[in-house]
Amino acid sequence: MTAVDLFLQQLINGLSLGAMYSLLALGFTLVYGIMELINFSHFNVFMVGCMIAMLTLQAMGLSGQTVILSGAPLVLTLLAGFAVSMVLCGFIGVGIERFLLRPLRNVKGPAAMITTIGVSYVLFNLVLLTLGSDSKNFPNPLPPVVFPIGGAVLRLREVLIWITAAVLMLALNYFTRYTKLGKAMRATAQDAEAARMMGVEVDRVIMISFFIGSALAGASGMIFGLYYNLAKVDMGFAAGLRAFTAAVLGGIGNVPGAMLGGVLIGLIEALSAQALGSAWSDVVIFSLLVLVLVFRPAGLLGRLAPNKS
Amino acid sequence: MMKALAGSFVSFAGRPLAGMAPERRRALGLVVLAAVLLAFPYIHDNDGDIDSAANAMSYAVLALGLNIVVGFAGLLDLGYAAFFAIGAYYYGIFTSFQVMPLWSGFWDPFAMLGLVEKINQGGPDLVHFTLSFWLALPTAAIVAAFFGILFGAPTLRLRGDYLAIVTLGFGEIVPIVARNVDSVTNGAAGLNGIQAPKLFGQSFGVSATPYYYVGLGLVALLIFVSLRLRDSRIGRAWMAIREDETAASAMGVNLTRFKLMAFAIGAAFAGMTGVFFVAKLQTATPEMFNFAVSSMLLVMVVLGGMGSVWGVVLGAVLLQLLQTWFLPELTGWVHQLGAAIGVPALRRIDFVDSTQLIFGVILVVMMLFRRDGLIPATRKMPALSYAAQHAEVRRGGFVNLDRIPRWSPEPGNALEVRGVTVKFGGLVALNAVDLTVPAGGVVAVIGPNGSGKSTLFNVITGLVQANSGSIQFEGVELLGLAPYQVLERGVARTFQNIRLFPNLNVLENVLIGQHARLRSGPFASVLHTPGNRAEEAAAANWVMDIIGLFGNRLLPRIGQTVSGLSYANRRRVEIARALASRPKILLLDEPTAGMNPAETLELAEQIKSLHALGLTILLIEHKLDVVTRLADHVVVLDHGDRIAEGRPDEVRRNDAVLTAYLGRAARAAVMEDDHAS
Repeated sequence: MTAVDLFLQQLINGLSLGAMYSLLALGFTLVYGIMELINFSHFNVFMVGCMIAMLTLQAMGLSGQTVILSGAPLVLTLLAGFAVSMVLCGFIGVGIERFLLRPLRNVKGPAAMITTIGVSYVLFNLVLLTLGSDSKNFPNPLPPVVFPIGGAVLRLREVLIWITAAVLMLALNYFTRYTKLGKAMRATAQDAEAARMMGVEVDRVIMISFFIGSALAGASGMIFGLYYNLAKVDMGFAAGLRAFTAAVLGGIGNVPGAMLGGVLIGLIEALSAQALGSAWSDVVIFSLLVLVLVFRPAGLLGRLAPNKS
Repeated sequence: MMKALAGSFVSFAGRPLAGMAPERRRALGLVVLAAVLLAFPYIHDNDGDIDSAANAMSYAVLALGLNIVVGFAGLLDLGYAAFFAIGAYYYGIFTSFQVMPLWSGFWDPFAMLGLVEKINQGGPDLVHFTLSFWLALPTAAIVAAFFGILFGAPTLRLRGDYLAIVTLGFGEIVPIVARNVDSVTNGAAGLNGIQAPKLFGQSFGVSATPYYYVGLGLVALLIFVSLRLRDSRIGRAWMAIREDETAASAMGVNLTRFKLMAFAIGAAFAGMTGVFFVAKLQTATPEMFNFAVSSMLLVMVVLGGMGSVWGVVLGAVLLQLLQTWFLPELTGWVHQLGAAIGVPALRRIDFVDSTQLIFGVILVVMMLFRRDGLIPATRKMPALSYAAQHAEVRRGGFVNLDRIPRWSPEPGNALEVRGVTVKFGGLVALNAVDLTVPAGGVVAVIGPNGSGKSTLFNVITGLVQANSGSIQFEGVELLGLAPYQVLERGVARTFQNIRLFPNLNVLENVLIGQHARLRSGPFASVLHTPGNRAEEAAAANWVMDIIGLFGNRLLPRIGQTVSGLSYANRRRVEIARALASRPKILLLDEPTAGMNPAETLELAEQIKSLHALGLTILLIEHKLDVVTRLADHVVVLDHGDRIAEGRPDEVRRNDAVLTAYLGRAARAAVMEDDHAS
């Protein structure tokens, strides 16, 4: 591979990672935008989503790389994987919000954030105790179709990941901009009290943003599995921190910002892994997070969350 | 151990002691507890249990350190284990055979000090570091504190929730570095051959007992340090930051400095524990310092009670007992039960695996049902009886002023605001505003809502930056100073929407007003140097004099947390807090808002009596009778412009003012009214 090919290849890898981080970052940004809360449970809702997707695919008879599908069965299988993990994750998110965070809504200080850390821990350990800590083989039913671009390789799974992420993000964009509920959501993010006065059911809006954010985490869990062909109980931490960095980089609370930030983080990760070795990519990402927070806390596209003092 | 402990608590609470004073009883309890802990290795001669007790000690020390950062200063640090790792690797590297530079004459002086020795492994002579454990403890504290400042400096400006995630990142980076810098840390395999401590030439060897005593000593030391810091100027500043950063800085607390101090002291605790921990294990691997450790420490602090020194120690001990004693025992019981009733499934259950799950559940349950922890840091005071809370409206201003020194300001202008403009985006909140407050005078700023009055106060006190202009106080430029520097120069304020420190009591709130007038640093505060004791005593006296001004409005309530006070009393506490800082000028933002007419009159007369002592006052007020009663000069703002100024009676008749307040038609009505009368 020439240097250009290598760069191209890392670009392809970076875009795929970026698609995953974008979807995950949206969950952080939606919740932060409305509640000013860093939702640490999101890390492991994502991991649970990946596990659910894996179990769903396995339940449909797929195991490892041995069963290859094509045509309608493939599409239906993938749709089922996405649907089940998204819906179940969405309900997990709603459950967390309704039963654990709503009672703390008006409590000042770090109580809600500590609760999400606790929830994250519980999710992690429930999966650890039931499924174990080993790395699992995530079913991959995709035919090994590749499109060579110069010396680099674009695989079918990458195209698929891009399309899925693009569809989900366009749908979310449409939802927040043009639907009544989406507008209510943006209004609540600006000023929950004023939105309540104007007849917005704030509780419902918050619940729905948790549902959407968590469902997107489920989708990115499925994407993670398809991309790496593995699922592991400790996968949530690194991916979650990258996604959070992405949300901050784009401007936390800002939906297009999270999408942009995710893609940038994916690219930075792929390219820095190429340049420095993957052991250091965590360090690169965290340093970036610190730099952004210190020098441009509003992110690239500006922070849309309210500035409560 | 449990039985002995339980025994001491029974006697602690028992009837024969009921007649003792609470302090005596507490001291006796402590002595009994200390005796039991000291005797423990002899009472219960089981090396495994002594070892896990020593581990509990090191977690207790870590939790105490985290408590300073999270509990006292309110900075949620999720990467605290990083400092633990730094202390651990510091000691590990300087006592093991991992890093061995070539020997040269440079090392001779170190060899004489016993820090290094020359060894030969069949090549050239090499340096073997032989740092003593006892020297490593304090130096590790310094090294870790240095890293605390290094990590803290760029991040402490961030909002609290961002800080959490950035510290999480640092907590992750340190083990990654340890894992990947093989030549120094031996990578994932970890450092081996770390030396055991020696005392009088005698190595600690393999017995757990000496470590138990060192751990006990560390816990005792750090409980002492924590308590001393908590009750000092430093601790009060931390708690002020935790409760309300803006108010803390307006009351003279240098936010960056005190946040860094909390970070550094917390890190120092962790660094020392790191030394202790690896000296005991004689190995250090990156996995010993990952997020699981940081979060376990957070669970200890949350379980015991954030900000509660004894609570945190209890939390650490309980979690250690849970892990090393209760869960294995429980597993054993369930297995026996399974064998007895013939259910094989029961024999496969292992509760030890669910330790982390239990940690998560503890965090959630504590947050939902008992946020103050097992031993809350602030004890709820019983409500006052009806008789104790009864207060009559008193007329005629403050009476017990004899203990308050008179202000004797230099004649001339105290505060001069010249052409100050403040813009928020496109909105001009203040437009080239001029204002002069003569020394010893009372100037009132009035104007409709949104006219820029509070912005004026914010720009004077450094909370808002001006786009242009100049603000001089006694000839010193205030623009560009941080809020705490403005207060240091003698400008104290109250807030329109009352910014007290809600979970602190009246006395503590007012004491924080003294912050800028006290000098004690962390060492003086811990050691209670004579200077520190004199300073604290003087501060306490002064604060009681100030609170005493408000008579039985505040005096019976000094131990009550301010969140439980009436609105009017909270206003009074805020004024007392500002007065405690010995201001040369007092900025009062709607001091009588929300008070009934009688209370309003009382407070207005009290302010007047302060003025009679020579205090310069700048006042924002809506109630015109208060303004007329107090002010000798009135400035009227409208939409950021100064539209009028003059004596109160002049301003009342000013055309522009009437238009701004009442609109044109109403003004005509007033004029007609005047004609008629």
